[in-house]
Amino acid sequence: MANRGEIAVRVIRACRDMGMACVAVYSECDRTARHVRMADEACAIGPSAPLESYLRVDRLIDAALATGADAVHPGYGFLAENESFAAACRAAGLTFIGPTAEAISLMGSKTAARRAAIAAGVSVVPGSDAPFDANQSDSVIEAAAVSVGYPLLIKAVAGGGGKGMRVVTAAGDLPSSIRAARSEARAAFGDPAIYLERRLVRPRHVEVQLLGDLHGNVLPFVERECSIQRRHQKVIEETPSPAVSPALRAEITTAAAAVARSVGYTSAGTIEFLLEEDGRFYFLEMNTRLQVEHPITEMVTGVDLVQWQIRIAQGEPLDIDPQQALAPNGHAIECRIYAEDPDAGFMPSPGRIAALDVPGGPWIRDDSGAEPGTDVPIFYDPLISKLSAWGADRQQALTRMKRALGEYHVGGIRTTVPFFRWMLEQPAFENATFHTAYLDELLQQRRGEPFENPREDEEEIAAVAAALHTVIAVGIAPSGRSAARDVAALSEAGRPPVGRAGWKRLARLEGLRG
Amino acid sequence: MTFEVEAGGRRRAVEIAGAGRAYRAVVDGRAYALDVARVGDVWSLLVGSAEPVLSSPPLHPGRSYEVTIGEQAGGELAVYVNRRAVPVSIHGLTGPRAQRRATRADRTGEAPSGPLNIVAPMPGRIVKVLVNEGDAVVARQGVVVVEAMKMENEVRAPRAGTVKGVRVTQGALVEARTVLIVIE
Repeated sequence: MANRGEIAVRVIRACRDMGMACVAVYSECDRTARHVRMADEACAIGPSAPLESYLRVDRLIDAALATGADAVHPGYGFLAENESFAAACRAAGLTFIGPTAEAISLMGSKTAARRAAIAAGVSVVPGSDAPFDANQSDSVIEAAAVSVGYPLLIKAVAGGGGKGMRVVTAAGDLPSSIRAARSEARAAFGDPAIYLERRLVRPRHVEVQLLGDLHGNVLPFVERECSIQRRHQKVIEETPSPAVSPALRAEITTAAAAVARSVGYTSAGTIEFLLEEDGRFYFLEMNTRLQVEHPITEMVTGVDLVQWQIRIAQGEPLDIDPQQALAPNGHAIECRIYAEDPDAGFMPSPGRIAALDVPGGPWIRDDSGAEPGTDVPIFYDPLISKLSAWGADRQQALTRMKRALGEYHVGGIRTTVPFFRWMLEQPAFENATFHTAYLDELLQQRRGEPFENPREDEEEIAAVAAALHTVIAVGIAPSGRSAARDVAALSEAGRPPVGRAGWKRLARLEGLRG
Repeated sequence: MTFEVEAGGRRRAVEIAGAGRAYRAVVDGRAYALDVARVGDVWSLLVGSAEPVLSSPPLHPGRSYEVTIGEQAGGELAVYVNRRAVPVSIHGLTGPRAQRRATRADRTGEAPSGPLNIVAPMPGRIVKVLVNEGDAVVARQGVVVVEAMKMENEVRAPRAGTVKGVRVTQGALVEARTVLIVIE
């Protein structure tokens, strides 16, 4: 398992479900991470910076060979869409659980992928056809921008997940945006090449999951709706899309399968489309890997996509009923819980997870790599968990998701849980009348008010609890009694509740008392 | 024992008395009976009326709240009630001397002038320093680009001034609240 975090945990679970053993790799700061402790074996691959560990092809191959692994799962992110990694695995005699290096190379280049889609008879968003490498002068890109037209998007050729992407509304902003996009693309993918694409007005993001086997079969799945994005990062996904009729589903999944077949695609992949209000859709790009949001497809189809990746890599032919894949059973929704502080402009909030209550109960699924006591490092993606809910229809799925979000508690760091509780109450979300710019526009209208608004009684209880905490945990005895007895009565775990911080607090309070 | 507690932006006088599991709280004159139990790091509070609903045997039905409390830098408490964050700070025990001190602190708490430290809002890596010593900066001008979790964030000057010191270099790893730039 050449990855970390929740996806490493997901793949280890798939291996266990199939009776296989799994080897984890880890960087310095991930020694105590959940995926390392869950795995059968684990191998250190270097320092915490991704370029020195999770992006080091040589160290990952060495780790696989040293532990006698037969196959390598790349997860998503890091080297998942890097054709040299797939090729290096093959050269070392390891099975790469993913598409061929050739398919990654072709579809991973956003510009080559656009040409492939056109050749398969699928419309693409207007844009620049050739990529611009790091040496390309601004003036050449500016000329191309004029012919594409503003507003436009700068995108990383090797991109995905909104990294290395910038919106440009006016020519004057182009040079600084090019610089920022290249720098982010180099850091995230090791490739600063970029291209331009016209920005459609209020489209939806709809994508089609596919599986292709080694025998020429390609199977499309019911579409996912991923229009709720913040700065081009998906934050909520659901399936099926409230905007897709059965007729449109037939059309869009057929188009997706045609593109995948035309390049001989194998393993799991996703073709992303932009859907306009009039029902026209455009090929956006193909992700040649397992998608973050794959659980919701699993929930409405009953197909374990990670197991199928492994089975396909072993040469098994697809034997899933196409109707099972295309006709969703109910509705599923996923919230990506990030270590970000929504009340501070979604500032990253790395650090130690002091407490963690994960929701459960009927039709709730939590895919997480986090545990209390573990750290969310500064070096990697801030995704700590994916919370999914299933319902017989959209309304039931949303209601269950709200209930589950109410049960979620992460202490020690800030997360986007309060944001999701707020988001799911928005009328446009409940009515599903959104588009890809909807969330950014909605957030811009806010005036800094907190996402979480505790009720009056909750505030009062917070005040009481803070006073109680001071009395009990810090050891100020009420009514002149010895606090020690109360503490003994309360501290059932037998831990001394008075920490250093507690005594400091006491000293401060005593100081205030004079 | 009475505390001044600010919760959700409002100050409240909270009086606590009791022992073991049974406490009595008076908040701004309203009295409650509390049954307090600790489950790991979670406090379970059953909050009922101060007087029993039935007297024989005494029955105290209580609303159930789950509370977690963590200490934060600067004396603030990270309090979650039913998994919802409530900003809370304790201003201390009330009493005449405490009040005198508070008044004194208010008097001297004028707006700071002179050098201003621009600090890292989060731990991360310095991608780029955008200003040099001696540069004039305007309010909201970007001064440093910090990268954390693969996203670049521009740290901006909160007000106009002149750069008096650049305390970080490109590529450096910084902790939250590390001083990056000093302006005056």
